[in-house]
Parts: sequence; structure tokens; C-alpha cells
Amino acid sequence: MEQLVGLVLLAGELLLTCGAEMYRVEETIERMGRAAGFVQVEGFATPTGLFISLHAPNGRVYTRVRRIRRSHNNLSTIAEVNSLSRAFSEGTLTVDEVRVELERLRQEGAPESLTRQLIGGGGAMAFTLIFGGNWFEGFIAGIVGAIVLVLVTWLDRYPVPKVLQAATGAAFATALIMGISNVLPIHPDLTTLGAVMVMTPGVAMTTAIRDLLSGELLSGLSRSAEALSVFVAIATGVAMVIRLGGR
Amino acid sequence: MLVQALIGFMGAITFAHIYRVPTKQLFYAGLVGALGWTICLITRELWGEIGGVFAAATAVAICSEMLARRRRQPVLVFLIPGVIPLVPGGKAYLTMLSFLQDDYGEALALLVTTVLLAGAVAAGIIIASSIFRLYSRAKHVRR
Repeated sequence: MEQLVGLVLLAGELLLTCGAEMYRVEETIERMGRAAGFVQVEGFATPTGLFISLHAPNGRVYTRVRRIRRSHNNLSTIAEVNSLSRAFSEGTLTVDEVRVELERLRQEGAPESLTRQLIGGGGAMAFTLIFGGNWFEGFIAGIVGAIVLVLVTWLDRYPVPKVLQAATGAAFATALIMGISNVLPIHPDLTTLGAVMVMTPGVAMTTAIRDLLSGELLSGLSRSAEALSVFVAIATGVAMVIRLGGR
Repeated sequence: MLVQALIGFMGAITFAHIYRVPTKQLFYAGLVGALGWTICLITRELWGEIGGVFAAATAVAICSEMLARRRRQPVLVFLIPGVIPLVPGGKAYLTMLSFLQDDYGEALALLVTTVLLAGAVAAGIIIASSIFRLYSRAKHVRR
């Protein structure tokens, strides 16, 4: 029983650290708990903590609390935990198989690679083009965007708050593009805009809307605040450099 | 238009990669983004900027819900990359620039537009997802 409780808790924790919606976390806990043979399953998830209470058939109640400190965006972990929990409740996977898979996902965390950051630079390029820049400006924005992603990923290894990461990345990108625009014929605003957009808190933004929709006011509001503070931090970073640069 | 659709596709697929969408779903996430951005461009001419973003967000959310059911994935996998091209980053940037130039009248007007555009994205997602939720609940009750 103890092991089953750990399994349910691990699945919930993985979903939370990867930025899943609250109803998905609670539904997964409920589904896995029932499949594991508990008669009553209660789960309560917030972006910073997870509480579960499982009632065993013999009357014992197992309650666990897990504090969630750091989070990252990893949608493939959410997808995998989702299909694992479904397979488990349908009985196609055994407890041990599920545990091995979940442990592997936790070990993996959020895999970083240079390719991911380079492809991410393409996002900066697309944004510059969306807002009306030409292909050359897009290309420059792509390169700077990739550099910004490398910088932010590096900062993320140290206990730097997300807001400070965003401000630093934005300030760096703005300064770099300001320098480049002295040499090359690019529109500095359009290029900067694209480059800083790679830090858009897309996951927090979208899950906030979906959480509010399903009545999870607590996490809906806290995730909106997270997304908003990152946007303000990006704007601050850009504004500081523009002011210092004397434009 | 084809070039614009391609740009939408590129924006969605690259951001999908940043957020680590499963590799097998990347292409579909990109398609949703291309659809959203194209619809936004077309309807923007008819219903204005906010109406266009709203229509596009609704279409993106409907597509994401349908794809998620068909391909057995969480909705977020398609929804997040899909709405990325609709994020009012440009307006937010102009707002910041106007504040910097001490042009508060212009800045406040832009700020309101930015908030409304973001609200339009949220409203589109909420409407489409609520309909799907009602539908799946109705199916559940009938069983």
C-alpha cells in the first residue's frame, strides 16, 4: 500500500512540476488511486503544493503532502504521465512498470540541448515576421533569440528567480540588437520584439485560462500573476536598456 | 497568404519545441498555429483586430480539442503552440515604448488594446473549451 501511495504521489508531482492544469493533476490522482484499489481518493493541487489522501479498504488513511518548488515547461512529460495513468487504470500496465517509467521521467526532468535553443530561435524569427519585419530582420532576431534562450537556460541552473531571468534576457537582447542596428540596416524595435518573445510564458498563460475556466480560482489567479510578472519583467528589461541607450 | 500561413506554422512549431511538445505531435501543433494565424489575418479585415483574434482563438481551441481527442493527447499540447502567434506582443511592446517616451495618453490607449486582445484570446479559448466540456459531459450522462 505504501508503495502505491508513493506511485500516485509521484505521478501528481511530475504533472505539477511540468505545468499541467489542476484538474488534470487531480483527475490523474483519482484515476490512479482507484485503479490501485483505494476506496476513496482525495487530491488537492495548487501550483506550489500537492496534498493527497487515500483511503485503503482496511480503513487506514494515507495522507501525503508534497511541496513543489521548481517548475519547468515539459509538455511531453504531461502527455506521457497521462497515457501511463490511463494504461494503468485499464490494467494494461503493472505497478512496477508504471513506477519504472515514472522514475525515468523524473530523472529526465527537462532535457536541455543546443538544438532546442537553436530551434527556439526560429520562434523569434517567426514573431518578427508576424509583426511585419523583413526576412533579414527575422534572421537577426532568430540568432539573438537563440542566444537569449542559451542565456536564460544557463541562468536557470542557479537559483535565479524567473522574473530576473526574463529581465536579464530581455536587457541582453535589446543591448545586442542596439549594437547590431548601428552596423546593419535593421529596424531595432521589430527585431528586439521578436527576440524577447522567446521568453513568453505561454504555458502559464494558457493553463491559467483553463484553470479559471474549470473553477480552479487559486491556481488560475496565481498562474495569471506568474505570466503577467514575466511580461512586465521583459518590458522592464527592454525599457531599461532603451533608456540607457539614449533613445 | 501562403507565406503568412507558413510563418504561423513556424511560430507554433518552434514554440512547441521550446515547451517540449512530444516530437510526434510537433507537426500538428504547427498546423494549428498556421490555421489560427491565417484565420486571424482574414477575419481581421472584417471584424477588426480584436474580433479577428477572438475568431482565431476560438478556431484554435476547437481544433486543439478535436486533435487532442483524436490523437489521445492532453489539449495543452496543441493549444499552447496554437495561440502563440495570437499573443499581442507587438501591442505590448508599443505600450512600453509610449510609456518610455512619456506619452501617457497613447500608452494608456495601447495598454487597453493589449488587454482587450489578450482578453479576446482568453474568451475564445473559454468558449470553445466550455462547449467541448458540455458535450463530453452530456455523452457521459447518457451512458
